[in-house]
Amino acid sequence: MVFSECIRHAPLLECLQKSPVDAQSMAQMAWLIIALPLAGAFICGVFGRMLGRANTNLIACAAVAGSFVFCVLAFWAVNDRATTLISPFSRDPIRYALGHDFGTWFAAGSFRVNFGLAVDHLSAVMIMVVTGVGLLIHVYSTSYMAHDEGYWRFFAYLNLFIAMMLTLVLADSLPLLFVGWEGVGLCSYLLIGFWYEDAAKAWAGRKAFIVNRIGDFGFLIGMFLLTLWVSAFQAQTDNATGQGRALEQWRAGVSEQGPLNLRGLEQVALRIAPSFAPMAGAVSLQTPIQSGPLEGNTFGQVLVAVLLLFMLGAAGKSAQLPLYIWLPDAMVGPTPVSALIHAATMVTAGVYLFCRIGSLLVLAPAAMAVIALVGAATALLAALIAFAQNDIKKVLAYSTVSQLGFMFMALGLGVYWAAIFHLVTHAFFKACLFLGAGSVMHGNADETDIRRLGGLRKEMPWTAATFLIASIAISGFILPLSGFFSKDAILHGVHSSQLAGYEWVSSAVWIGGLLTAFCTAFYIGRLYLLVFEGKRSPDAPVAHAHESDWPMIMPLAALAALSVVALIYGLPIIDVGDGRQTLIENYLSTVFNLPHQLARIHRTVSVEQEGLFGAWALAWVIALAGGGFACVLYLWYLPSRRGAPLPAPIRTLARWAANGFYLDQVYDFGIVRPIKFISFVLYKVIDSLLIDTLLVRGTAWITARVASAIRLLQTGDAQSYAAVMALAVLCAAGYAVIQVLK
Amino acid sequence: MVSTEHYLFLAALIFCVGMFGVMVRRNALVVFMCIELMLNASNLTFLAFARQRGDSMGHVSAFFVIAVAAAEAAIGLAILIAVYRSRGTLNIQDIRTMKH
Repeated sequence: MVFSECIRHAPLLECLQKSPVDAQSMAQMAWLIIALPLAGAFICGVFGRMLGRANTNLIACAAVAGSFVFCVLAFWAVNDRATTLISPFSRDPIRYALGHDFGTWFAAGSFRVNFGLAVDHLSAVMIMVVTGVGLLIHVYSTSYMAHDEGYWRFFAYLNLFIAMMLTLVLADSLPLLFVGWEGVGLCSYLLIGFWYEDAAKAWAGRKAFIVNRIGDFGFLIGMFLLTLWVSAFQAQTDNATGQGRALEQWRAGVSEQGPLNLRGLEQVALRIAPSFAPMAGAVSLQTPIQSGPLEGNTFGQVLVAVLLLFMLGAAGKSAQLPLYIWLPDAMVGPTPVSALIHAATMVTAGVYLFCRIGSLLVLAPAAMAVIALVGAATALLAALIAFAQNDIKKVLAYSTVSQLGFMFMALGLGVYWAAIFHLVTHAFFKACLFLGAGSVMHGNADETDIRRLGGLRKEMPWTAATFLIASIAISGFILPLSGFFSKDAILHGVHSSQLAGYEWVSSAVWIGGLLTAFCTAFYIGRLYLLVFEGKRSPDAPVAHAHESDWPMIMPLAALAALSVVALIYGLPIIDVGDGRQTLIENYLSTVFNLPHQLARIHRTVSVEQEGLFGAWALAWVIALAGGGFACVLYLWYLPSRRGAPLPAPIRTLARWAANGFYLDQVYDFGIVRPIKFISFVLYKVIDSLLIDTLLVRGTAWITARVASAIRLLQTGDAQSYAAVMALAVLCAAGYAVIQVLK
Repeated sequence: MVSTEHYLFLAALIFCVGMFGVMVRRNALVVFMCIELMLNASNLTFLAFARQRGDSMGHVSAFFVIAVAAAEAAIGLAILIAVYRSRGTLNIQDIRTMKH
């Protein structure tokens, strides 16, 4: 291939491949990537009101920009051919990775967690997206929040979010990842309820927080189980002899950096023998655990439980069934927040988590099947709900849920690179769509109902153009842009991979994905047409919309450009002997080779090569059909029938979809109310009656009664006291006499 | 020959008289004298045993009790005078301040 030859021999690229900072010093500086936005959050939060609006804007943007610069340096360093990481868990140096261990964070007994940061190709991509998109959205926010009194609070939270997200991505152990995981959840809560004077918005924040807590509970239990699992593995391989020096090295690594280090977990996955070819003394997934709390279960069963618990966590954070309900409500927060946290970065944390533990995931096809099916179901359901939403941000929120479902489909079938590719392109185009929606709201007196907008293309040309590009990117109608390639990479990967024992999953998920792709093109087409095309609605709140300022236009343009440019990464231009790889697949192969290798060894996922162009053509036809259907419906059919009601079944369907298929109500009836009732009973019986009345007030009451009875004895009369003493002496004397007589 | 038992019975009698007085008399001064009676009953016991054993331990103890009784009488009488000055009575029923 000519292009890849060019890459190899061009002197400029040759020069670019040499990192200006060597990997070792970059790894030691990695904490600065997190510290800068953290410091920004501190300064904005504590001194923001004193500093004034312009200074706060400057500090917040500068902190993220500085972090972005460090991310670029880290990205550069990690791409250097000379970069290798010496991991304490294995003898072989890991190529294209850097990391630094900053010492023990906490330790108890044999359990220990180190504070370590690591960058490899996967986290390098992630930190570039987080700080890059984050910077654009900070710039956008300076204009969007220009009239808000709480600007300093807003930027403090936003900076804190960036810091926490970077912690999540850079962490080299699960507990540290969990710190970031919780931190972004906190920032999400704070920013959803940013306008807390409005009770509905404060409640939406609480809903998000509580639903996320349910997921986090799963994550925590999963982590505990995983610790037990690793120690059982350690104990059982201890008993076996002849395991070689690799295992010794891993054991040394565990005692140095703890059992939940991500590199260590990769090594565990590597050391597990395939269950169909057991080796003497080696642990396979069929091996029962011999001692400890997990005794009697096999390693494979526990692993599936761990991964499903992680899936519960990921479902909470990444808004999948059954925990997606918080994300649509989260749209009451400021629009830049929706763009940054609830579209581009935080909600993809679940996808990132599974990519990080991908080498464990491929060992458990049952868990993979569940993840893929949950993803497909979520994608389809959310896309159907998005059909009938009339709030511009709600449509985009359900679209986000749906696109995240796509990523989980890819994870479930082991196509990690496609999930990450879609994550990146989705971050670009969905942030662009959200910021576009924010721009529309800004120019139309905060109107969010798409039925009361319309015809904005002439009044807001920049917003309309960028929105159109992002819409095309997400759906792929008219032209295949980045989103088309990433989504197609997922569909293609899903179709060509088979899970051992769950062969039907692949085709079920694939069909769900195709339907979702059709729906995506339809609802995005509907959204664009209703907002920007046609005539201005008679109910519009302002007669003439105004285009936003440059700090809002610039990020829109940049994100739209990125949505287009990112398509290069989806082109299969790298020649790798047996077939071609896309740029992004090739780039991420340094990370995902291991899971793929494990999947081959354990025969859990089988991949068949098939033609790419047929799949592209099919996906494009579907996208065209969806978009075309929306065009016909909203440009011709509905305007021509204005006034006449729609057929009854369609209206019923639309009502159901508009209400999210009443899932919120089902949850309310099935879960929230029973829990509230039980809580009420517990409150009345246990808390009010038993603890408050019986235990707390009861002991006080008894003491008081006894005391007032005893108080009668205290007369203050010296003679009665003397009489008591005399009586006591008499008794003592009598006792002594009896003792003597005995 | 007067035996030790006789002394002891006398001492017990005097002690009981004193104790009874402490419990029933209303005048604080009389109560005080009754306490002296009880102390002297105990002295009698000490001396009876000293005579029986033929050593001086009992005498020493008796002297010690006399010294303590003297000190107690001095302080007690001073308190009684102070009480009488402030309240104008020595009736023990009217001086119930130990409750507070």
